[in-house]
Amino acid sequence: MKIRTAALLITLLSPALLFAAGPQEVAASEGVIADIAGKFGVTWATLIAQIVNFILVAAVLYKFAVKPIAATLEERQQKIAEGLQYAEEMKTQLAQAERERAEKVKDAAVQAQRILSESREQSKEMIEQKTQEAATQAESIIRKASEATELERQKMLSEVRQEVARLVVATTGKVLSRDLSDSEKATFSEAAAKELASSQK
Amino acid sequence: MKRDKQISQLAKKLVILSKDSEGIITGSKVDQVLSGLKQVQPRRYLALLRCYLEHIRREIALQTAEVTAPSAISEDALKAIEQHYSTIYGRSIRARSITEESLIAGVRVRVGDDLYDASIAGQLSRIAHQVN
Repeated sequence: MKIRTAALLITLLSPALLFAAGPQEVAASEGVIADIAGKFGVTWATLIAQIVNFILVAAVLYKFAVKPIAATLEERQQKIAEGLQYAEEMKTQLAQAERERAEKVKDAAVQAQRILSESREQSKEMIEQKTQEAATQAESIIRKASEATELERQKMLSEVRQEVARLVVATTGKVLSRDLSDSEKATFSEAAAKELASSQK
Repeated sequence: MKRDKQISQLAKKLVILSKDSEGIITGSKVDQVLSGLKQVQPRRYLALLRCYLEHIRREIALQTAEVTAPSAISEDALKAIEQHYSTIYGRSIRARSITEESLIAGVRVRVGDDLYDASIAGQLSRIAHQVN
């Protein structure tokens, strides 16, 4: 195998060596090369066919193996780069989000404190207002109750007065009817009749 | 409606015919009017009689002074009342005595819708009313 490789190298390099040497040297070397080639069994036709074969194989390999692999590698490298860039961006965004979150938490804490303070103030005011309203309402209820009591008392006094008057009148009537004699009643009636007869309308 | 008005007017005229020369409704005059109506027998005779009766009652009430007292009032007092209220109302008024012991003492005179009260029961009632 090594011998075939060396012969191949010589075959490939021989035109260059011939080109680099002078005309006598070239003539001399052609004889040497021919000897070597003869010894190694190299023929020009086979060599050219092998070269062409190699070029075809290389082209095919390049076309169907090296190029897709290179494209795949390129794509993968690009994906990796994009992934790294995405990870970096995510890291940056995460840091930004963390900062924003911290700021929002801080703002929320400040706002919560403010709301708490306002709520305390409002509850304090509301308690005072409700207390005042309750006191006013209590005063109103007491005043109304007092007025109702006074009205009830007046009504009761009026009823008592009416009842007493009715009893006094009834008693007076009975007493007069019992104590006045018939002659006194007749005298009073006559006097009343004369009084009516002499009165103006 | 128009007929009712005519009957009322006729009844009023009959009431006038039922009065004597002093303007007092007397039984004899009423009897004359009724006998005349019985002979004539006008239209709606029954309605006319009812209207006549109503007017006669009203006229009698206006001409009568009901003198209410716990015991009988003397004739002099009744005469004085008749004269007094005849003068006041400008027509002849006759007094009619009514006994009612609930008045206790004093008199109460009613002429038509007017009431004159000089009784003890009335005075006590007025006092009770003033107190109330």
